[in-house]
Amino acid sequence: MTFNAAALLLLIAGLALIGWLAGRGRSALLAGRAGAKLHSRPQYHGWYVALWLFVPAAIFLAVWSSVSPALITNSVLTSDAAQNLPAFGFERGAILSDARNVAQGAQAAVRIPAAAPLVKPYADATHSYAWIGIAAMLALALAGGLYAFTRIRPDFRARTRVEKIVMAILLLASLVAILTTFGIVLSLLFESIRFFRLVPATELLFGTYWNPQSGAAQPDTFGGVPLFWGTVLIGAIIAMIVAIPIGMMTAVYLTQYAAPAVRKWVKPCLEILAGVPTVVYGYFAALTIAPALREFAVAIGIPGASTESALAAGIVMGVMIIPFVSSMADDSINAVPQAMRDGSLALGATPNETIRQVLIPAALPGVMGGILLAVSRAIGETMIVVMAAGLSANLTANPFASVTTVTAQIVKLLTGDQEFDSAKTLAAFALGLVLFLVTLLLNIVALRIVKKYREAYE
Amino acid sequence: MNRDTAPTDWKGIAMQKRIASRYAAERRFKLFGLGAVLLSGAFLAFLLFVMVGNGLRGFTYTNVEVPIDFKAMPLTVDASRLGDPDADRAIANAGLADIVAFAADEALGADGSKLISENAWKEVRSQIKADPELLKTKTVFHLPTASEVDIAAKEGAKGALGAKVEALEKDGKLSTGIHWSFFRNADATDPAVAGIWGALKGSVLTIFIAFLIAFPTGVLAALYLEEYAPKNRWTDLIEVSINNLAAVPSIIFGLLALAVFINWFGLCQASALVGGLTLALMTMPVIVIAARNAIKAVPPSIRDAALGVGASPVQVVFHHVLPLALPGILTGTIIGMARALGETAPLLLIGMRAFIGDVPNGICAPSTVLPMQIFLWSDEVDRGFVEKTSAAIIVLLIVLLSMNALAIYLRNKFEKRW
Repeated sequence: MTFNAAALLLLIAGLALIGWLAGRGRSALLAGRAGAKLHSRPQYHGWYVALWLFVPAAIFLAVWSSVSPALITNSVLTSDAAQNLPAFGFERGAILSDARNVAQGAQAAVRIPAAAPLVKPYADATHSYAWIGIAAMLALALAGGLYAFTRIRPDFRARTRVEKIVMAILLLASLVAILTTFGIVLSLLFESIRFFRLVPATELLFGTYWNPQSGAAQPDTFGGVPLFWGTVLIGAIIAMIVAIPIGMMTAVYLTQYAAPAVRKWVKPCLEILAGVPTVVYGYFAALTIAPALREFAVAIGIPGASTESALAAGIVMGVMIIPFVSSMADDSINAVPQAMRDGSLALGATPNETIRQVLIPAALPGVMGGILLAVSRAIGETMIVVMAAGLSANLTANPFASVTTVTAQIVKLLTGDQEFDSAKTLAAFALGLVLFLVTLLLNIVALRIVKKYREAYE
Repeated sequence: MNRDTAPTDWKGIAMQKRIASRYAAERRFKLFGLGAVLLSGAFLAFLLFVMVGNGLRGFTYTNVEVPIDFKAMPLTVDASRLGDPDADRAIANAGLADIVAFAADEALGADGSKLISENAWKEVRSQIKADPELLKTKTVFHLPTASEVDIAAKEGAKGALGAKVEALEKDGKLSTGIHWSFFRNADATDPAVAGIWGALKGSVLTIFIAFLIAFPTGVLAALYLEEYAPKNRWTDLIEVSINNLAAVPSIIFGLLALAVFINWFGLCQASALVGGLTLALMTMPVIVIAARNAIKAVPPSIRDAALGVGASPVQVVFHHVLPLALPGILTGTIIGMARALGETAPLLLIGMRAFIGDVPNGICAPSTVLPMQIFLWSDEVDRGFVEKTSAAIIVLLIVLLSMNALAIYLRNKFEKRW
């Protein structure tokens, strides 16, 4: 008997349905008997009972399923069988989780012999805590339901009450965004602080040698500069050299020259480029582009050419970003008042001169904002660089060489076999924090620029 | 007369030259623009061409004819019990694999058993289970070939293997069929039997969970912000965090999920549940932004009319605004879900990169998703996996493009000018 949250949620949802029917029926009945007019329609009385039945029980369920594992472990630790456990540490945790898995039916037999005597206490504790939880939850649901049910009277303002609860739910839903943001900041910050206790922050930010060893922290192997350089080389230099001219010219052509019918078909086609999953781009870069580039580099005699190159990842990433840049540029060019364009044309300028000397300068802040957003997206991109740019940290300006990026290293650090507390694992969170802060800064600046510019023509 | 105010000589040679060069610049500029569009289009075409070219072969497989005479090599199993749940094990224990290998040696020459896939006997097993009568006769089975043979038959090969395959082809023993097990099986180490069904089911489960969480939360949050929220510092904070979350790199959500869902709450690692939660947090801001735009587009006169006949603010929104905005919200949601479906990076961090040989049977079971399967296969050195990867990419692209096409269709169909 384990605590199955999904099944229990269904159970209280079913109870709530019964409550809804009962509340609706009772209010209609009361109104009919008393001959009075109901303040709220019967369904609102039903909703009132159902919400009182469901919400407290569901909140309890959420709390209970997050605290009960700890309670179970505590009660196991006080049992006689637990007195022979090794002191705190990795082994103790492994034994406990082994016993827990067997007790809860996730695996057939213990893998560590020392866990065997703990299985029965675990099973007993799981069982009793599950019953406590279910009993308390049902009691709460019934109490809530009964309370609401007894309050039903023809003149009871059920709709007002229900609407208050609905508003609270709406507010809660919008708080999820804040909670997520806080979750990101706190989890990154928390783990990063633990990392910076082992390795000084200045080493990560300014050190030039990156070769994290597993296990014990060796502070001089966590220099992040090669990663930052690789990220900038791929995301902010190569990708942008590809994306900016092509994206801008595409936007100019589609807004100023192309016939509406052409534009209608070409634009969604280009947007497919943005909809292709990045793992497909990564595969394409690694399988097709990178080998071709290497052959080219070898043919013209560039030293250090590798099958995993910054250039391959950067070019493909640039192509991925083209629709992004072009739609931002498209918006900004469209936002320039028609009068400016007409004025320029009326003075005898050709369309090309109008675009280059009037439209683009006027649209420039918006375009810049779009480019900053594109850079932020490029430096946060993961799969293309993991698959095509390689994992060796080189501090090189040679685009044909293999470089690595922040995101690729986060993946590498977190997908090996190691315990959670090693410096290597924590380093991934510190890198994540740096990435988060940099992209956040770029986004804020970009949004500011775009917003400010938009106001200028209104 | 002052020279500066003289009328311009429009017909003069210098001016004609100048105009001609300006027109030439104009034509060049236009061509550049066209070139940029064509270049992006060409890249897309090239990408699709390479993927389809590599991948189409992954949907077919080369089979070889192997006659097996069960009268000469009896398989000692009780034919009446082949429907039992443990029939698979009983047949395996009876030594079917050896019988098939022996028959292949006999039919295809000395190394015949190496030409068929090491899992070919499972194909025989499922045929026997479907028709126990086969055990009494001599039957010609079409068995999947080993991966190298399959590639040699499709692309040609040199050396002994190539000669052997050519000889088999001449005898008419090779045939090509649709590779059904590619759609039926989960991942495997042998490309002959590796399939995408496990990953596809994992993807569906993950996206379903993400949708169940992100859609209601996103729509309710958008309703609150657009319809009820007062303008104060708190709602500004909510707005700013939603806009920022929409632009946070996806891998950061993977770090969040690893720290919070797995290490804190101890939810089941590498499961559709955690994957779905992670993708839900990622898509929620996208849905909120799309939903707000759709709600904003509903004209205020509708709200005023409803309020005017006595509806409460909650009734206005749920009875009038939301139904009218729903097509727009759905369009945004489909696009957000398509993006989540193609996402790999955050799922890498929550452990979904492990080899999973079974089809997941629940939301807490270890599972993988389609993009992850593509990533895992792309690392395999075996040549047979290259076409499997591209074939899986084709499946993924078809799913994603049809989702996007559906969104565009809905947008066109429900687009209203008020």
